[in-house]
Amino acid sequence: MDFVRHTSTVESSSADDIVQDVQKLGIIKEVGTKITCFSDIFNDIPIHFQIISFPKQIYVWIGCHTARFGSLYAAASTRRNNIVSVTSLLGGSSDNTGSGIARRVVLKTGVPVTLSCNIPKDSPMLEAHAEKKLIQKLISLGYTKPKPQVVTC
Amino acid sequence: MDDDASSSSFPVRHKNFSLHIKENKTDIVICSYDDHFLVIATQIGTMGTIMHARKEEGMLNSPTFNVSVIFGKRDEPMLQACARQLIEHISNAGSSKPLTISLGLKDHSMETLKGIVSAVIENRFW
Repeated sequence: MDFVRHTSTVESSSADDIVQDVQKLGIIKEVGTKITCFSDIFNDIPIHFQIISFPKQIYVWIGCHTARFGSLYAAASTRRNNIVSVTSLLGGSSDNTGSGIARRVVLKTGVPVTLSCNIPKDSPMLEAHAEKKLIQKLISLGYTKPKPQVVTC
Repeated sequence: MDDDASSSSFPVRHKNFSLHIKENKTDIVICSYDDHFLVIATQIGTMGTIMHARKEEGMLNSPTFNVSVIFGKRDEPMLQACARQLIEHISNAGSSKPLTISLGLKDHSMETLKGIVSAVIENRFW
């Protein structure tokens, strides 16, 4: 089975000719899947982040200490009134650590989010720090929700 | 594009690659966590239907497997068959980790799902 590996030969030509030829083709840049991994430390506790960006959705994993998968949540805006709904898909402790992060990521980015997280419960400072770092990274990746247009009469 | 992060210091190994199945560009991500495998295959820009598959230890010599849809289409047996094939392959390789698999596909034909199963097995972490 062939995966994406291409070889090609290009005849010599001026740079301007090549640019014009490419523009005539009308190629639209495909936005595929991108994975961003980074780590942080909070009070000597390692926190790991994995962001998988799809064109219309984000998957996020947050790992605290270990690389255990944790509880899985899905969050998205509802069509009618833009309220964000969140649901537990796998696991989910009684305080639903991680569900709040998923919900607020959707509020910030406007994109549906699936989030798995193994942050222990009863760690609000750790959770808040992880959320802050995640949001900062998402903003640096270009995820910002467009501000609603103000209509003046 | 083939991206293998298995050599980095990040605790989660992952592979990200794409291929064409029936002329549909298919992005596949495979992740290995301490206690879980995650597979995502998408042709539509979203994760699609999410399923959870696990091996159930029983009294019998041969293991049984449980596949459940946790998000999305619950009436597409071919998707569940895909998850079932992969969890059995994981089990036969000696791993007891469960699998979360997400399929966002333009069609649910046997050819497409076989292509995904083959591609995942070829790039497996188990």
